[in-house]
Amino acid sequence: MITFEHVTKRYQGGAIALRDINFHLDPGEMVFLTGHSGAGKSTLLRLTLMLEKATRGQVYVDGRNLSKTASRHAPQVRRRIGMIFQDHKLLSNKTVFDNVSLPLMIAGMRYPDIRKKVRAALDKVGLLSKEKSWPMTLSGGEQQRVGIARAIVGMPPILLADEPTGNLDPELSRELFGLFRQLNTQGVTVVIASHDLTLIRSMGERVLVLSQGGLVDDIPGADIAGSAA
Amino acid sequence: MSITTIRRSSRAWGRRQLYSFFSSLGTLLSHRLSTLMTVLVLGIAMALPLGLYVTVKNLRALDLQQDQWGAITVFLQSGAGAEQAMSLAGLINQDLNASAQVVSPEQGMEEFREASGFGQAPDMFDDNPLPWVLLVIPEPAEGEELKELVAVLDAWLQNQSEVDLVQVDFKWMQRLAGLLELGDALISVLTIVFSLAVVVVVANTIRMDVASRSEEIEVLSLVGAGNGFIRQPFLYSGFWYGLLGALLALVLFNLSLYYLRQPLEQLLDAYGNSFVVQNLGGKGVLLTVIAGGLLGFFGAWVSVQRYLREIRESGMLGRR
Repeated sequence: MITFEHVTKRYQGGAIALRDINFHLDPGEMVFLTGHSGAGKSTLLRLTLMLEKATRGQVYVDGRNLSKTASRHAPQVRRRIGMIFQDHKLLSNKTVFDNVSLPLMIAGMRYPDIRKKVRAALDKVGLLSKEKSWPMTLSGGEQQRVGIARAIVGMPPILLADEPTGNLDPELSRELFGLFRQLNTQGVTVVIASHDLTLIRSMGERVLVLSQGGLVDDIPGADIAGSAA
Repeated sequence: MSITTIRRSSRAWGRRQLYSFFSSLGTLLSHRLSTLMTVLVLGIAMALPLGLYVTVKNLRALDLQQDQWGAITVFLQSGAGAEQAMSLAGLINQDLNASAQVVSPEQGMEEFREASGFGQAPDMFDDNPLPWVLLVIPEPAEGEELKELVAVLDAWLQNQSEVDLVQVDFKWMQRLAGLLELGDALISVLTIVFSLAVVVVVANTIRMDVASRSEEIEVLSLVGAGNGFIRQPFLYSGFWYGLLGALLALVLFNLSLYYLRQPLEQLLDAYGNSFVVQNLGGKGVLLTVIAGGLLGFFGAWVSVQRYLREIRESGMLGRR
């Protein structure tokens, strides 16, 4: 579903964010991406979302070679991906309902269907009662969950999350990871960038470890589960 | 692509348009004051050419009474009497392509009494001070031909010893025609200049809209909105600005006309024309509204193309 082949990303000015990254994710796989801040986790996600272009190497998403895809086709790639941002990226001048409905509006879905799906997504993150609220009136955790609802509302085959539990308490974090796993069992490919090692260990899924722009470890889920036990 | 796919995607397209349409209206309504200011500027800019257009249109309506404008008024020497006036009129009617009408001093005084509103005042004169007058109207002709005809008449009349003064109204017609031509040219120039102003004003407003909504543009783009979806609400906003501006221009224009109509009709009545001031007409109204909407749309398009690219190149959506 997602393949990186010898991917190097050098930013303008020469800073190298990623060097020679190789990995492959099968459809329906769930993987954690970990490493210190600045290790390249965000860059890797941005490459997948076509927010950046690889300096060298090939990135494949859903069978499409992004290095050879024109940026005007970026929307088509992004519509296949639900992305959860560390800073939520919610629109403060739109209600929770309107924020979550954006991907469906973009898809040009009928309003009754939009209504149904948005409410289902909000229900899934436990925020159905807040559909008419404004994002600014919500807590950080609630805003994060609105972002998650927006990412999953269009039922994309791929879900990317950048530090989704960055400012949540452990209880809520565990709950969220549970939600990701539930989506994963329904066939969604899930990539979660996180440095919450305790939580990652408890999940028992494959882990990719980044350090200073290089992929230094690729631990299968079975080994993680073993260490957690 | 199968028929059903095409149908489905065109329906989705329609729903996206509908969404953009309403979201643009919502944006305008949520910024009432700034919308009002923009629309006011546009309205005034569009009202000016409209005003000039209708002024010229009305002057043209006057121009239709051409036989009147070609008339020559001939004042005879104060010593000349009825006999000389009659013989001169006879000569004109016979030899020159014109008809002459004799106005006696008494008739002249009567007309003066009626038109001037001085009532009995002229009775204070012991003698009637007015001379005999000939009203010479050339045979109906157009443009250059009439001009020539009038010139011949003028020259011939000037040479008659009984004639004191020849007043050619035709000159006024020439001047009016010149003014009308100038008016037409002015309308063209003003229309172009103010259309440009409308485009620039809308473009600038939309530029600020784009800048103030860069966060929204970023988020939309992150969740997979294409250029069209991002651009559409701005284009509709431009259309609304133009349309509302045109409607306001029509309102301003009609208010001015309402205020000016009575004094204008009185003035023209005094010139002996029973005259009804003409308005823009249904076609003009329709054209103004359509032109306003299109200009606004165009202004928004120019702006959005440019500033969306700028936002993209600024690296907010990543360096690609």
